[in-house]
Amino acid sequence: MKKNLIVFVSLLIMFTGVSCAKKPRFTIISGSENKSLEVLVLEFGRKERVEIEMSYSGSVDISQKLSKDNPDFDAVWPASSIWISMGDSKHRVRHVQSIMRSPIVIGVRKTLAHELGWIGHDVKIKDILSAIKSKKLSFMMTSATQSNSGAMAYFGFLYALLGNPEMIELSDLHRKDLKAGIRTILSGIHRSSGSSGWLKDLYLKKNYDAMVNYESIIIETNLELIRNGREPLYAIYPVDGLSIADSPLGYVNRSDDAKEKIFLKLQEFLLSKEVQQKILAHGRRTGITAVDVSAIDTTIFNPDWGINAGKILIPIKLPRQEVIREALELYQTAFRKPSLTVYCLDFSGSMTGDGIEQLRKAMELILDTEKSKEYLIQPSREDVIVIIPFSNQPLWQATASGANHYELNAFLTKLQNQQPAGGTDIYTPLIMALNTIKKYNLSHYIPAVVLMTDGESNTGAVFADLERAWRSLGLDIPIFSILFGNASRSQLDKISELTGGKIFDGRKDLLGAFKEVKGYN
Amino acid sequence: MKKNYIMGLILLGAIFITAYGVKTLMQSEPPMNIKGLVGGEKYPFLENSEVKKILRKRYGVTLDYSKAGSIDMVLGKLDGLDFLWPSSQVALELFKLNQKEKNYKSEIIFNSPLVLYTWKIVAVALEKNGIVEKKGDTYYITRFKELINMVMEGKKWSEIGIGELYGRISIIPTDPTKSNSGNMFFGLVANMLIGDVVDSTSLPKILPTLTRYYRKLGYLEHSSSDLFSQFLQTGVGAKPIIAAYENQIIEFSIQNREIWPELRDTIIILYPVPTVWSAHPLIALNEKSKPLIKALQDDDLLRIAWEKHGFRTGMIGATNDPKVLQVAGIPASVEKVIPMPSAKVMDEIIKSLQKE
Repeated sequence: MKKNLIVFVSLLIMFTGVSCAKKPRFTIISGSENKSLEVLVLEFGRKERVEIEMSYSGSVDISQKLSKDNPDFDAVWPASSIWISMGDSKHRVRHVQSIMRSPIVIGVRKTLAHELGWIGHDVKIKDILSAIKSKKLSFMMTSATQSNSGAMAYFGFLYALLGNPEMIELSDLHRKDLKAGIRTILSGIHRSSGSSGWLKDLYLKKNYDAMVNYESIIIETNLELIRNGREPLYAIYPVDGLSIADSPLGYVNRSDDAKEKIFLKLQEFLLSKEVQQKILAHGRRTGITAVDVSAIDTTIFNPDWGINAGKILIPIKLPRQEVIREALELYQTAFRKPSLTVYCLDFSGSMTGDGIEQLRKAMELILDTEKSKEYLIQPSREDVIVIIPFSNQPLWQATASGANHYELNAFLTKLQNQQPAGGTDIYTPLIMALNTIKKYNLSHYIPAVVLMTDGESNTGAVFADLERAWRSLGLDIPIFSILFGNASRSQLDKISELTGGKIFDGRKDLLGAFKEVKGYN
Repeated sequence: MKKNYIMGLILLGAIFITAYGVKTLMQSEPPMNIKGLVGGEKYPFLENSEVKKILRKRYGVTLDYSKAGSIDMVLGKLDGLDFLWPSSQVALELFKLNQKEKNYKSEIIFNSPLVLYTWKIVAVALEKNGIVEKKGDTYYITRFKELINMVMEGKKWSEIGIGELYGRISIIPTDPTKSNSGNMFFGLVANMLIGDVVDSTSLPKILPTLTRYYRKLGYLEHSSSDLFSQFLQTGVGAKPIIAAYENQIIEFSIQNREIWPELRDTIIILYPVPTVWSAHPLIALNEKSKPLIKALQDDDLLRIAWEKHGFRTGMIGATNDPKVLQVAGIPASVEKVIPMPSAKVMDEIIKSLQKE
């Protein structure tokens, strides 16, 4: 009997051996607009016993990551297939298929949309432009050099300002009248970000007028606004076109057959009838062809919010790749609203060693225009950069203009010479940063404070001091925090909550965190 | 207890014997494994289990293939490969130019005409404007040159009576510098502008128009299957007219039987008169792969190719019965066909487009 049991058990092990093995890992880098679909992907992971990790990045950033030599992810899921085509110069991406579609729209507070006369009428980009010019409309939009929705809206603006040519050419981008026009429009942006998903979170926290975002995100935002008894956004589909995101999921081939199989299964799962139905319920347009309007849930695709799933969507024609690249570079260096960024950098004793080296490298990326150019985060000539290194008190303060390479380089030398020592007070330098920003004419800048710290604040000022200072300014100045070492997340959370900021985790990749935060300002 | 023990052993033994038996049985007649590169549009055909079965049972052949671009495969290294199956005659010509010493054999297995896909509202307007003529169920573009002229002039959709569409008339191909269907579309447009097959002497006359057309298009997709799915998914506003292969709609109608009846009357196939053929020549690189040419012309395989995947047989002028299909407006044969410009002329066209 005992031996029989052994035979049985060994047979059992033979057949179930696979399930005892360690779960395979599969990583996806995705646009933040897919965050609410992560549950579906994880459901697949549980079913198939695969550990799936989704990380989020702007689509333009995904495109850049794809073009690098050693991608460290198994699949890409940007907002639009153009970013795969542009980034995949090494032809690594296979099995690309669109999972769902969502047009990019402008969601405007419904009463404001009504005041502007936009409800029940065709709206053209030029109507939006004149509302911005006459200061009736200010809005939030992601950075065109980081995220798909910002980039597509930017191209929509370019077309309209150029008088809707058949195609944008390189020479058009350098027309003098264009620069003035596009700068006026982009001056209407009072908050920018590297990701469209985060704009939704910010909109829900504060009171704004409008945001450029995906139809699906406007739906998600509205569902929450209504739950909170707030006014919904009204979706405007400009007739002369914004764009349609097609959410392509592609496999990044690194010669691993097992991973390729996982990918194909995942893709099949997401495209299955049942899951497509669930994705549709998330406000995304699904199916092999344009959405069947009769089958749509109008509490989600709600006509009261301007959502019109049956309307013929006419996206803009995108220019050639070289023109796209040049347009993005001009956005970053000449067109966008200049940024005014104060960096508060932790030079306390605990940063000694590797920490300080990483910090210096990260600042080099920000300040050395040759390096920052590669990631389209280079400063424009009108950007203002302020640095406040601190330990248990602010150590010094220095200011540079984006146009002045000498000043930027001098920063690097100063940071090189500054040695870490002492305790940590994060609040006093932040108050100093706010007081510095106050002196500028903020209608010309998108302001932000970036705090990088590796420890808990335990001396000097306290949160209440910062809160008082921030509120007394009466300005919408976000404080973005980069978490490093043993920094206190709860302290940083409170700061983000107060100022409409965000925490970036720099523990794994400090350089990456600095790069990402730059996309938010 | 002893009985159970013996039973266990017998069970284990039976499992091993069965496993061994299956393995030897499979090895008794080892099929010949032939390795090659194929254009992506033939992938579903080769993946079809019926096709695999016929090749294995009747011809003792299994295929080991990877997807590659038609131009890339004929210009690339041939080490370890037995065959190539590109999707154009131009690719074959390029192969001949570049691989002179090889003892190869080639034959066209399938053909598929280049067509335009559009939507009902557009087809109706084009018919009213005399660009398109409907004969039976089939829509023919009898005045293709005029349609190209409209595009070149920047005529608006509203000017031909389609108020629903904003902007100018356009026909969207894939990127001709990267993909075969876009390449063929430009070959056809070049021929249309001249009124004959373009050669090196006539090319300079129309090259500026071609480059101007290309510039108007802006960003283009790199593959015909991506373009076709975007056509379906984003609709008439985003993709009013596209250029692609005839077989794509046939394959789609079979793979999506459930939703096809709803689409059948809204998607319209337009046949340019004349059009160009996308030929699919099989290039056998060695003795081992030569029998494959005959195998792929098996009557049953040709039937499956047509009925399930929409590929017409290699012989021009042969008819394929459209009644077996669920797609409206497919003619039994496509008679008015113009040859593509030579590989050399196409190469010149591509080079000047790439400079843009």
